[in-house]
Amino acid sequence: MKEIKGLDCKVYHEKLDNGLNVYVVPNNTVNNTYATYTTLYGGRDNEFYINDKLVSVPMGIAHFLEHKMFEMKDGSDVFNFFSERGSNCNANTTGTRTCYLFSGPNSFYENLEYLLKYVEEPYFTDKNVEKEKGIIGQEIMMYKDNPYSRMYDEIMYNTLINHPLKYPTIGTIESVNSITKENLYDCYNTFYHPSNMFIVVTGNVDVSKTFDTIKKHEEKRVLEKAPVIRRKEFNEPDKVFKKNVDIKMDVTIPKAAIAFKINVKNINMKDTDIYTCLLNMVDLKVGPTSLFTEKMKQEGFITDTFDTSIIKCDDHFIVVIDFETTSDIDVVIEKVINEVKDLSVNKKDFERRKKVAISGLLFVSDNIYKLNDKIMSDIINRGSINYNPIEDIKNYDIKNVDEIIKNINMDNYSIIKILPKA
Amino acid sequence: MEYKKIKEPAYNIHFIKTDKFKKIRIKINFKEELKKENIVIRNMLSLILLESSKKYPTKRLLDIECEELYNVGISSNTSISGNYHILSFQEVFLNESYTEENMNELSFQFFLNLLLDPNIVDNMFTIDAFNNAKKCLEEDIMSFGDVPARLALSNLYKNMCPNTPLELVSCGYLEDLNNVTRESLYEYYKNMIKSNLIDIFVVGNFNDDEMLNIIKKNMTINTIKKQNLSHFIKQDKIRNRAQTVIDEKDLNQSIMIMGYKIKDLTEFERVYVLSIYNAILGGSPDSKLFKQIREKHSLCYSISSSYSGISNLQFISAGIDKDNFKKCVNLIKKEVKKMQNGDFSEEQINQAKITYKASLREIEDTPSSMISIYEAHEYLNYDLIDKREENISKVTKEMIINTAKKIKLDTIYLLKGVENERN
Repeated sequence: MKEIKGLDCKVYHEKLDNGLNVYVVPNNTVNNTYATYTTLYGGRDNEFYINDKLVSVPMGIAHFLEHKMFEMKDGSDVFNFFSERGSNCNANTTGTRTCYLFSGPNSFYENLEYLLKYVEEPYFTDKNVEKEKGIIGQEIMMYKDNPYSRMYDEIMYNTLINHPLKYPTIGTIESVNSITKENLYDCYNTFYHPSNMFIVVTGNVDVSKTFDTIKKHEEKRVLEKAPVIRRKEFNEPDKVFKKNVDIKMDVTIPKAAIAFKINVKNINMKDTDIYTCLLNMVDLKVGPTSLFTEKMKQEGFITDTFDTSIIKCDDHFIVVIDFETTSDIDVVIEKVINEVKDLSVNKKDFERRKKVAISGLLFVSDNIYKLNDKIMSDIINRGSINYNPIEDIKNYDIKNVDEIIKNINMDNYSIIKILPKA
Repeated sequence: MEYKKIKEPAYNIHFIKTDKFKKIRIKINFKEELKKENIVIRNMLSLILLESSKKYPTKRLLDIECEELYNVGISSNTSISGNYHILSFQEVFLNESYTEENMNELSFQFFLNLLLDPNIVDNMFTIDAFNNAKKCLEEDIMSFGDVPARLALSNLYKNMCPNTPLELVSCGYLEDLNNVTRESLYEYYKNMIKSNLIDIFVVGNFNDDEMLNIIKKNMTINTIKKQNLSHFIKQDKIRNRAQTVIDEKDLNQSIMIMGYKIKDLTEFERVYVLSIYNAILGGSPDSKLFKQIREKHSLCYSISSSYSGISNLQFISAGIDKDNFKKCVNLIKKEVKKMQNGDFSEEQINQAKITYKASLREIEDTPSSMISIYEAHEYLNYDLIDKREENISKVTKEMIINTAKKIKLDTIYLLKGVENERN
């Protein structure tokens, strides 16, 4: 057992013989329990090697596979199983991982065993694969009509060149229609081995009973040797694919995003620390507490605020600043670009942000869903749980800011505008 | 968990004490009878009161103070609850045992101060704050239709319940916004504090006396208020034949909603039977609609049913391809008919009850859902958790069939995606 210091969280971790990592974080003051079963396989993994042979599968397959894991050979219904026990189950896929989950206040161990069972027993047929194409087709259409998800897709497509995250996790109508059951088995057999997966449980549980349930189930499995996962290599240039993109949609208020593509390889800090520091630096420059925003509001350029976020793409971070305006959109864009040329911050602001970040961790630890997400993201982004997150934040210093400023180039960016049709 | 209600002449205080959380959540509701022209004014207040205050004259200074107070979260929203309009303000902060001594008081004081001491100069809101809030709302109103699902539902209401409070949209109307001035907004604000029904909910681990003192010290209102109007909206005009309404918009996907009216529901049916009916029909991925329309016929990704007990309405909505509209309508009608004919099993009823009971247990896990339970109790006289658990078990198949027969299809609405030039 190890404790995440300052957050009242005790983490019980074990790596099973078959390679599966299991993390259990009990919180017995709540009634509910939340379990996630994740494979490090997502929308980006479309080209990889099977026995040294390069295989290319259609875009959108990780998400398609996620949908199809809910088919059971005996015809039973996964949703039914959980709902009979008063629990919710679901799954979701991002560019880098696929996650199966359930939560509920009853029958936890039975539910847990069933989660393992259905994720570990693929059953794909030509018929059930065909059936899913109509459903996912409608899901694609739903996202296409939403200006915010459209914006995200355009950011990725126009900043990246060779990186597989360039394309949407859900795929396209054409790619999804070309998926076969053979493709699905290829992907399943490569990426769903326990050595590429992990389980995180948060909430009201008995720790040893949880481990016993998982171990007893996993010991029974007959498994092939863990496949060596090798993805196709790619070389991502620092420049963006396209600098200016105008999208016409049926929207009323014009929206814009400036997406800076930044190579962080030469910064002598951990990725996760770069992420936190850089996000705060950008936010202090153009976010709600900045003089810049105050001025832009007073001058009538914006009414709300500039939203800031970072999307990690291995050595490149995409720093996104987005906003809506009914004023001159190009003038606002120019002013923003100008403002972030110098990302230096003053010590007082930086110290205040550290306080905010620490409070943020305490809020996260108070909620079993957010805590589970945080642990998951630690495992994916830094390889292991951070047991000293508060201490790490306290140690941030203006020196980190200088180190980042010294090593980044803010000259490569795409400007994406979503404009009303009329 | 311990609940205590304190009645003051001008407001009610609801203390929900629990040591489950590291945070304290506060919600303050201002409630009055719904009037079309006031919707926009109340939206203005929801923005402007959290934009600045006398003590923090700009949003930047206010946001910096939130950060200094260990990342205090403040938010506001407005909602329509049947015949009433509710303007709510919420605050979440870390319990002082995780930060510094006296932070509970400082954080709560800060919040009350925003609501009760706004940035007023010469008896009006300042020009910057006013103009910004006005422009924000203008944009909200203008872009209301940008989210297809929201537009579809609002259009359905307009066609289904014209000339009733239900046709009103929550963002308000431009013509009303243009009548608001800095002076009239302040006049309205003063009147609102005096005359609106106010409820203050506090959830977390705190000292009652300390919290009560802070409230009494700040809320120096002494008007006597009474609620005399019911929240519930009756549905008396029911069509013999359902109407079909189709609008067009430049979209890839079409959205259909079927709107049903419900007549003469008993209180028990409203809270319990309707909930089980909805769960079996389309409340979850193991419901009839999900299994038939999505899984069997692959016609959609999203399909669900929902209901509003307050308005006596029920809805079934789905995102579909426009060519499948008729097919979907017929399939949905079939499933609804099955409910009326009792074509569902005891097992499905039990399953829905188990889900309902499980969700009751989850309520205590989050402060916001605990507030919701006590809000529903205060405003609608809905039962609290224990009573609900007891009552849900009493729902029988006959009751569900009886309720199903009271649910009448009124309007079939389609927001049809039409292909204009594509990018």
